[in-house]
Amino acid sequence: MKHLMRRLALPCLLLAATPALAHNPMCECTESGEQITCKGGFSDGSGAPGVTLDVIGYDEQVLVASKLGADSTLSFKRPDGEFYVLFDAGPGHVVEVDHADIGAP
Amino acid sequence: MSQAHTLPQGGFKQWWLKWRFHLNILLILIPLGFMPKYFADASLFRGDSGLGANVVQGLQVGRWTLDLAELRDEAPRADGPAGDFKAFNAALCNTCAEGVKAIYLRIGKPRSLRAAGSIFFGPPSRMGTNLPIPPRTRPDADIWVTIEGWDGKMYQASVPLAKASPATAAWLEKQGGNK
Repeated sequence: MKHLMRRLALPCLLLAATPALAHNPMCECTESGEQITCKGGFSDGSGAPGVTLDVIGYDEQVLVASKLGADSTLSFKRPDGEFYVLFDAGPGHVVEVDHADIGAP
Repeated sequence: MSQAHTLPQGGFKQWWLKWRFHLNILLILIPLGFMPKYFADASLFRGDSGLGANVVQGLQVGRWTLDLAELRDEAPRADGPAGDFKAFNAALCNTCAEGVKAIYLRIGKPRSLRAAGSIFFGPPSRMGTNLPIPPRTRPDADIWVTIEGWDGKMYQASVPLAKASPATAAWLEKQGGNK
């Protein structure tokens, strides 16, 4: 037992010393046919169920106002014209995805 | 009989058994090598060595004056699938935090207050934020500071990215603006 604890001491110490993890918001959108699917989350690996995700036209008209589902994704029909997807996890915690950056996976 | 076990044979082995104790000194010497970096970091985070690198002084945003600096003079750091990020610090002048609700930083002019960029947090005299650098950013882009006032209005100012963070501009140049 003592031997085992000695062997595990260093790995345990190293694990305990991991630096503080940032949790920057992220959002990825892919297109299949007419449908666009966006998946939100945070860079520490956590999901973002229930977080606001809006699709906004270049004229600032909100085209789709919705929230991410339990699997942190949302699917919607590609709107006409120019738009961007706004993943909004609170003031200053947003990700914008431009329509030009949305393509097939 | 038992003496054969306690008294090791051979010159080298005897020397080693006697002197390995002094390896302990290494345990003191190794951390000494990291100390200059440790104290430099501690002073940077405390604010003793200023706001950061490449300070843009006296940026006029509405009726406020703000200093902006990158935390370190280096290229953006990757944060897994979330992309690349660059840490910036900002300070409002000592007597003029009045009326400021929030301060945001973004590459390119914000489309709206909702999409004003990443938010600064911390005391007004030393705030920090992690600015996402989109992969298709042009090296000649501007970074925009947006102040949201308690009066509900937006006040904005911009500074060239190449001035606020030459290392980021050089990094973008190297990538050719499209990753």
